Amino acid sequence: MNTALNLLHLLTPESILVETILVVLIAGLFKATAQKRNMLLSLTLIGGVTAGAMLIFQPHYGNIANGMAVLDPLTRFIKVVVLGLSLITAVYAVQSNIRQHFAEYLALILFTAIGMMLLAGTENLLMIFIALEMVSIPLYLLAGFLKQSSASAEASLKYFLVGGVSAAFLLFGISLIYGTTGATSLRDLAQSAPAVTRDPLFLAGLVMAIVGFGFKVAAVPFHLWAPDVYEGAPTSSAALIASGSKVAGFLILAKFLAIGLAGAAGSAASSQLQPGWLPLLAVIAAISIVVGNLAALSQSNVKRILAYSAIAQSGYMLLGLSATGGTALISVLFYVVVYALTALGAFGVVLHVEQRRGGSQLHHFEGLHQSAPGLALCMGVFMISLAGIPPLAGFFGKFYLFAGALGSASQGGNLGLLWVVAIAITFNAVSLYYYLIVLKHVFVTPATHPAEPVTRRNAATFVTGLLAVSVFAIGLYPGVLLDPLRAAAQAANRKPVTAAPVQPK
Amino acid sequence: MMLQVILAISAVLFCFGLLATLTRSNAIMVLIGIELMLGAGNLNFIAFWKFSTHPELLTGIMFAIFSIALAAAEAAVGLAIVIQVHRRLRSVNVNRATQLKG
Repeated sequence: MNTALNLLHLLTPESILVETILVVLIAGLFKATAQKRNMLLSLTLIGGVTAGAMLIFQPHYGNIANGMAVLDPLTRFIKVVVLGLSLITAVYAVQSNIRQHFAEYLALILFTAIGMMLLAGTENLLMIFIALEMVSIPLYLLAGFLKQSSASAEASLKYFLVGGVSAAFLLFGISLIYGTTGATSLRDLAQSAPAVTRDPLFLAGLVMAIVGFGFKVAAVPFHLWAPDVYEGAPTSSAALIASGSKVAGFLILAKFLAIGLAGAAGSAASSQLQPGWLPLLAVIAAISIVVGNLAALSQSNVKRILAYSAIAQSGYMLLGLSATGGTALISVLFYVVVYALTALGAFGVVLHVEQRRGGSQLHHFEGLHQSAPGLALCMGVFMISLAGIPPLAGFFGKFYLFAGALGSASQGGNLGLLWVVAIAITFNAVSLYYYLIVLKHVFVTPATHPAEPVTRRNAATFVTGLLAVSVFAIGLYPGVLLDPLRAAAQAANRKPVTAAPVQPK
Repeated sequence: MMLQVILAISAVLFCFGLLATLTRSNAIMVLIGIELMLGAGNLNFIAFWKFSTHPELLTGIMFAIFSIALAAAEAAVGLAIVIQVHRRLRSVNVNRATQLKG
């Protein structure tokens, strides 16, 4: 009984979100007006902010049923981030062209948020699988929400089919890992994994699980859905897929590898002997960087450019993950959070252009600096940050990431990583081309479109501006984000004995 | 001995499912392929649980029960998406879904 009470206590924020969903769905039954959409959004935001406040005032540590639900400062930090990203997506949704079933749309966004929060706060393979599906299934629906658009239906179908196959890969992989180690909790797995690192069954399971996670973060073997989904899905859904789902996916991949399979990577001395996940991850990272950056060069739709850039950015993040140094996790999480803020902001600008000019092709962005100078400036900040040019947050993200990867190389463990870093830096220069092409259309090319009404301020543009300011501020003072992350990670490592794990049964 | 037989069956099942998803152009058949692959995973869990050293822990069987529920949810959403695609494209052939490319 005590366990159930503890669980309820630990998952209070998620419970509040569930109640918010019920309230939003009931409120959505009333007659549809423009005010109603704002009212529904306010309800969502009130529920979300309450849940966020509960998160901050929760006890610092918790561990229910052998890692089924855990809470520590790092987990809490990521939970707050994914919740915030989801709420920003909800703000975008009000400005998008979703007119029907708006309450259901917000409810699905909240469902995704709950899934992402559960995913961040678990160290058990069973919960990881359930939470991943809880993120994926609402996202399939969000991608296909424009019922009158055949592009949206097609995006949703492609997302679903690839997602379904990768979920099956993940399940099969987890089953093999469970079979060879007898563990589903990541902490138990860490103890039993080193004994079976040469078992082919275990290795097959490991590879299949990584393939399954690779879909979530759009790394190369399972990346083909990304451009089509980003293009066809409603922009607010694509923003959620690009930001929140990516943060949660990377956190859980990092936890799975760093906590559960630290032994299977091989220690620095024995990594040459053991086939582990390190070489696999490094190869996936390198291919993602090359494919993403090269394919982005030939795109003419800004959403597709963002999608291929997301694939390349995933490559950088995987490179960070394959550097198993002491600060590697921090630098990856810093990078992921900065990337999510930047991508979300870029989608905010795309949303505005789409609503005003009816598309997201490059030529729709022409002369944006005349009709909406503020948003054009924001787009400049986002693109330059994604390209990793110094005064902005993206530069520090890349700097810490590459420094972390090379740092682990200097310890003599993974000298092989040097070639991935070299590829990453080379192709980062290539990526400048397509980021600057977007900016050229925004700032240089004169407008060929007929003059449009002066931009009215609305919540979505305000949030976009806020994101640009935060990307700029993190660039000037990386400590704003880095210090809390570092403190949280250190605190998470010093687990006090008071949080006694409750055994199952 | 028995465990190996069951694992071989589930591996074959998984491969058939994968083959169906890769070769079939009908979205429903692809959906069935995905279900076969998930079923293979569940079979693995049950087999590993049955032959494990601690069958009283019930981990494997819990995993299988939850993943069956998830597979059902996924199939429901998948069929809804297929219906939506059929309304827009008048076909459930995945090779017809070529509007988005590049």
